Amino acid sequence: MYQYDAIDQQLVEERVAQFRDQTRRYLNKELSEQEFLPLRLQNGLYVQRYAPMLRIAIPYGMLSSVQLRKLADISRRYDRAYGHFSTRQNLQLNWPKLEDVPDILAELAEVQMHAVQTSGNCIRNTTTDQYAGVISDEVVDPRPYCELIRQWSTFHPEFAFLPRKFKIAVNATESADRAATQVHDIGLHIKKNDAGEIGFKVIVGGGLGRTPMVGVTISEFVPREDLLTYLDAIIRVYNQQGRRDNKYKARIKILVKALGIEEFRRRVDAEWAHLRGKESTVPMSEFERLATFFTEPAYQTLSNQPAELSNKLAESAGFARWYERNTFDHKQAGYRIVTLTLKKAGQAPGDATSEQMEKAADLADRFSFGELRVSHEQNLVLADVRQDQLIELWEAAKEAGFATPTLGLLTDMICCPGGDFCALANAKSIPIAAQIQDTFSDLDYLYDLGNIDLNISGCMNACGHHHVGNIGILGVDKKGEEFYQVSIGGASGHDASIGKILGPSFAQEEISSVIQKLMQVYVDNRSAEERFIDTFRRIGIAAFKEAAYAKTN
Amino acid sequence: MPKLIKDGAIVDNQYEWQQDAETTANENSIVAAQQWLAEKDSIGKVAGIWLEAGDGTDILEGIDLNQFDVIGIHFPAFADGRGFSYARLLRERFNYQGEVRALGGFIPDQLGYLLRVGFNSFQFAEEVDLEKALLLHKPFSVAYQGDVADPRPIFLRR
Repeated sequence: MYQYDAIDQQLVEERVAQFRDQTRRYLNKELSEQEFLPLRLQNGLYVQRYAPMLRIAIPYGMLSSVQLRKLADISRRYDRAYGHFSTRQNLQLNWPKLEDVPDILAELAEVQMHAVQTSGNCIRNTTTDQYAGVISDEVVDPRPYCELIRQWSTFHPEFAFLPRKFKIAVNATESADRAATQVHDIGLHIKKNDAGEIGFKVIVGGGLGRTPMVGVTISEFVPREDLLTYLDAIIRVYNQQGRRDNKYKARIKILVKALGIEEFRRRVDAEWAHLRGKESTVPMSEFERLATFFTEPAYQTLSNQPAELSNKLAESAGFARWYERNTFDHKQAGYRIVTLTLKKAGQAPGDATSEQMEKAADLADRFSFGELRVSHEQNLVLADVRQDQLIELWEAAKEAGFATPTLGLLTDMICCPGGDFCALANAKSIPIAAQIQDTFSDLDYLYDLGNIDLNISGCMNACGHHHVGNIGILGVDKKGEEFYQVSIGGASGHDASIGKILGPSFAQEEISSVIQKLMQVYVDNRSAEERFIDTFRRIGIAAFKEAAYAKTN
Repeated sequence: MPKLIKDGAIVDNQYEWQQDAETTANENSIVAAQQWLAEKDSIGKVAGIWLEAGDGTDILEGIDLNQFDVIGIHFPAFADGRGFSYARLLRERFNYQGEVRALGGFIPDQLGYLLRVGFNSFQFAEEVDLEKALLLHKPFSVAYQGDVADPRPIFLRR
């Protein structure tokens, strides 16, 4: 993974010193609340319901075991010994003290980490596929490009005060989009053109929140050397022309929609004409330099399906289940990608205790070259596990609570922290997740239902991506009471779509029975092997609606 | 005389930021760009013009900007970042060499970024302590992107 040089290190250290001074001036009342707000936000610090929340960047999801141990240590010493992995490859601490944050940032800088631009109206942490670099069908490894974007976006002097937040995600394979790129302000799909040159299909104007939209293609192919000038052009148009009068209409999606993609493209191209070919054009030497950080680890020459694996699969249904659900094909023979799920019943989705973080770091050292990834679905990934060590890993993962064999299933929910922590939330989301975990505890039934994305957000800001869940649950406030709106038919992959609202919202205690009814409609209507989302797309919303609101006799 | 920060020092403010179009402009006035464009044949010699957030820089196309000693850019609020693009465009696209002055609601903690996009003078709101602001008058010592001071991104400098 990327290693800081003296320049990268100096920059994060100067940032820590700057924030230490800003915090001091704020606590001395030299900086007003209002002035401190964007400064602390651009360092990842929110003020939440009970305490500040610190969002630490895990750039494009890459984490070393050393870094994860540091996160465990920080969350133990400065917080309540746990953290929350978010959908955008960040780690959130829910209980740090404001005055401790400069020290936390200083400790993060020791392990080449930071909280730069993890919130605020600026370019956020760039995210990508958690399987980057280890799957066989990607165009190229997207991580060097993510690092290029990370550096370009970090302290970009022109774009620190945009109309609204700005999120970029990168995908490099046709077979899946695990980074939800189409619901980002900019989604980048790495491609090769007919001449074999690497470039990007650029999608713009996706986003969730109050007005969810799937992005539209602004360019089918931007050569990779032109990526930064093209991004500069898009964001320069947005910075000047995006709406600033209403924060709910300030995302780039609203500008793109208002102008239409043709006109927006024309303006971007006009801007790009001035920038293209200038100094920010990326030289080949930089692509080569960045690629050196993402070389293959020292794989051994092995073959697939070693005897001990085949035997165990035959004899242990539990292991076979875990293998089927929580591991994924690796490009290298004899290896497997393993997801350590953070979706154990009784634990909030995406949460990990300090102890679990340390255990995951140990597992990474033992089984996966000391590296991990964090996924959009709020799980951890060991990308390079030898197939002949899977049994050993499975045993260890079970013990640590990482082996719930439900990856991709209904209970592998995406869930925001909700009203238990977040000041913005209208309703709690963690108890909803817990209720669904309890109701759908039968693994056979979950397996029979197959792949279903269920996403929960505590408010319209949609941190839990409810719009793009096959089933989405949104917390709403009805005269001071917490209710939940259910939507259906969303998707976040290459077939991205925004879910449709089923109808009037439900009381908290009704949710799992509603989900059960929806599942029954699916089971009754599906054709063989048909996924939930495909059944929904074939039969439409009516049957689901009818079942959900049918009066019980 | 009111003070401002210019080229890294606290100095007397030589010019008058004219926000009211009714006031008669003189050679020390910084007048609104829209007003200057409308009255340029009759307005006479002014120190410079200022851009309102929302004006954009396209309205200055074809104007010889080097006739102005100063071009101001107004920040209606510090969170309104349009002026960062305007300043950069004045420097990089219009090749304007004179003083680019920040006006309005920007704050000292933005100085690092403001300097990098080409501002060299800062007329802060009255309550800002300029001595304290001066302590923040420097960008980080390294930068990833090119900027007005040095157009080369880090990959051309590593």
